[in-house]
Amino acid sequence: MHQIPRRIFIGSSLALAAATGARPSRAAGTTDLIVGVPTNLTGLDPADVNDTLSQSACRLMMQGLYGFDKDMNLIPVLAESYTANDTATEFTFKLRTGISFHDGAPFDAAAVKANFDRVTNPANHLKRTSLFAMIDHTDVVDPTTVRFVLKSPFGAFVPTIAHPSGMQLSPKAIQQYGRDISRNPVGTGPFKFVSWSADTLRVTKNDKYWKPNLPQLASVTFRSVPENGARLAMLQAGEAQFIYPMPPEMIKAVEHNANITINNAPSIYERYVAMNVMKHPYGDLRVRQALNYAVDKAAFAKVVWSGYEDPADSPIPPHLAFHVAQQPWPYDPAKAKQLLSQAGLGDGFDTEIWANTTTIALRAMQFLQQQLGAVGVRVKVTALEAGLLDSKIWSVQKPADSALQLYTGAWSSSTGDADWGLRPLFWTQAGPPKLYNVGYYSNKDVDADLEGALATADPKKRAALYADAQKRLWDDAPWIFLGVDRNLSAQSKKLTGLHMIPDGGLLIEEAALTA
Amino acid sequence: MLGYFLRRLAGTIPVLIAVSILVFGFVRLLPGDPARLVAGPDASEADVQAVRQDLGLDRPIYWQYAHYVGEIFQGNLGRSSRTRLPVSYEIGQRFMPTLWLTLAAMGWAILAGMGIGVLSGVRRGRWEDQGGMVVAVSGLSFPPFWLGLLLIDLFSVRLGWFPTGGYESPASIVLPSFTLGLAVAAVLARFTRSAFVEVASEDYVRTARAKGLPERRVIWTHTLRNALIPVITMTGLQFGFLLGGAVVVETVFAWPGLGRLLVDSISYRDYPVIQAEILLFSLEFILINLAVDLLYAVVNPEIRLR
Repeated sequence: MHQIPRRIFIGSSLALAAATGARPSRAAGTTDLIVGVPTNLTGLDPADVNDTLSQSACRLMMQGLYGFDKDMNLIPVLAESYTANDTATEFTFKLRTGISFHDGAPFDAAAVKANFDRVTNPANHLKRTSLFAMIDHTDVVDPTTVRFVLKSPFGAFVPTIAHPSGMQLSPKAIQQYGRDISRNPVGTGPFKFVSWSADTLRVTKNDKYWKPNLPQLASVTFRSVPENGARLAMLQAGEAQFIYPMPPEMIKAVEHNANITINNAPSIYERYVAMNVMKHPYGDLRVRQALNYAVDKAAFAKVVWSGYEDPADSPIPPHLAFHVAQQPWPYDPAKAKQLLSQAGLGDGFDTEIWANTTTIALRAMQFLQQQLGAVGVRVKVTALEAGLLDSKIWSVQKPADSALQLYTGAWSSSTGDADWGLRPLFWTQAGPPKLYNVGYYSNKDVDADLEGALATADPKKRAALYADAQKRLWDDAPWIFLGVDRNLSAQSKKLTGLHMIPDGGLLIEEAALTA
Repeated sequence: MLGYFLRRLAGTIPVLIAVSILVFGFVRLLPGDPARLVAGPDASEADVQAVRQDLGLDRPIYWQYAHYVGEIFQGNLGRSSRTRLPVSYEIGQRFMPTLWLTLAAMGWAILAGMGIGVLSGVRRGRWEDQGGMVVAVSGLSFPPFWLGLLLIDLFSVRLGWFPTGGYESPASIVLPSFTLGLAVAAVLARFTRSAFVEVASEDYVRTARAKGLPERRVIWTHTLRNALIPVITMTGLQFGFLLGGAVVVETVFAWPGLGRLLVDSISYRDYPVIQAEILLFSLEFILINLAVDLLYAVVNPEIRLR
């Protein structure tokens, strides 16, 4: 713990304020990395966290059978390879040998079974249980072979295993700590847990790490600094070597700083406006097309994101598996007006747009209000705090109860796969409260594609089905397709090998600092 | 005095019970389903249901309250629904940072605020008074958010004297406590001055001067002592507010205090943490009020506590 020593409060605080303290103690050595992050961690149990930051923190210490490289490609980590049966109901993984958890417990098939038995048991009340709900049971075939038997075909199983929630904890530690494993995590990864207090996580090098010559850092510290300017100041003052997110509007202030590099990397966050097809006039294809013609996507990137946003070219972003680029919707307000006239809305119409209360969301809604206003659509802008969004959108029980007309938000498929990029948003059965199809879009052909692609593990068949689904969705325009975010971060020039992957997670294993 | 103290302390119990019922009811009136907020943005309905059962939110509200109170009497504040860590641990981690920040900010604010207030009162209408009040009004008008960022830019980025934030070393407390204390110092300066000026025109002050007491005794014994009563009240109030956490200063300086915890907990509808924090703040206010009453008696022996 780092309590402030009592003695400094003896005597007046004025004297303290007047005293010019020595330059604050920096990290002990040149191989201690400090990362400035925007929010507090919510936990360190991979099966019980659902935010990207906590998952990045878990990834310092824990690993899964499969994982993602810096470009979000699926790679084996604790497993060497897998095989699947033709119906995508059985997946067998061959494990690496000679790996131990930080507490000395061996990593083997029994450990994998213990982890998946834990996360799939609803009695454990873990937040990610449903992610693995397709698993019927897990078998130890031999100490280095584990087999998952699924309840129904699930072609996206390996990306699901690679999801951060599939990272492995020491079975011994699970026994020992029970629910408090969340603040005593033990994995096989490059760093070992030291401490996690309110806003600071510290980990130290795992000297027995199974990959040779890694990690190069002696320690890593995550410090949560919510204020954008203060986080950037940390980097400028040399108190941190990596910060994210880098606010786009502040880039100009530091881009000529000789010690700082701005990282501008692709992400898998797609921004959209969902239209509720159950509500007049959004059931009319011509209206949905008109709105896509009415919004200038290049201006959206410029006005809302200071230029750091790519145009969307499919319902899923380019760095997701099975993405196929479509023909862009050009900016054509005349065509938009013409389509609205054909739909009997020559005088325009009144509507309302909802989003959360972040600065970016407000800016996006105001921008859309202006753009749609130019073709006669009068938009009322309403920002909703998280609890209100929940009660007005995500918890609505029946489509008829939804008052939603337009909603703008973003989605990132946490498995890196097209299934989780499309199914929660466009599948007929994915309406709230079950999943996130807030516009209640329904299309039999798209449903057939999404269901078919899950029923096979053959990448070729899946690719063809997802290509068809993307084409249909793009033309049917259940969304105004806005853009794909960039992952903006900033770092010291002394730092190398730290990557932000497209899902916003951090890969720190290979990071190194030069003096 | 001791009897008075104990009776007042016992009187806090019904107040705390009333607060607990009010808070318990109010947090549940907030729109939004805590189970869904905790389960996260890509949870399924089954996940949400599991979280709801885990948090006991599927039970009737009177059951939830009875359960909550029963647990409190066993010294158990429950677990945060967001992090699933014990609430006592979550609050305990942030209580000391908030206390240190409050003490440091109040410490310098009381000295500076009262000092400026007395100086302005004594030198009423002169340049010291004018200058002091310009400082006080500026201190009140400075948005702490902006001031904090300016201080970070000057003292951390350019000069490198203090860290930009965090709760790491003794030097970490300087900038946040200055920022937090500025408005308090300004309020106290204005309060002290007006109380001082009012008392200075009382008959007994004139009498003291008339009987030839030295000016120093007139100021310190006769005037200031009597002017202190409203100042102590104000100080107590400010102290209570600061102990409740300072969201803006904690945010700018990445200080792990109670204010940010409360705001985070509200946005996640983390009922157990919100309830415990509000109970804690109520208790703090009650104790501070008690301390203020006791101080009255110390400053002015004519005030008898019964």
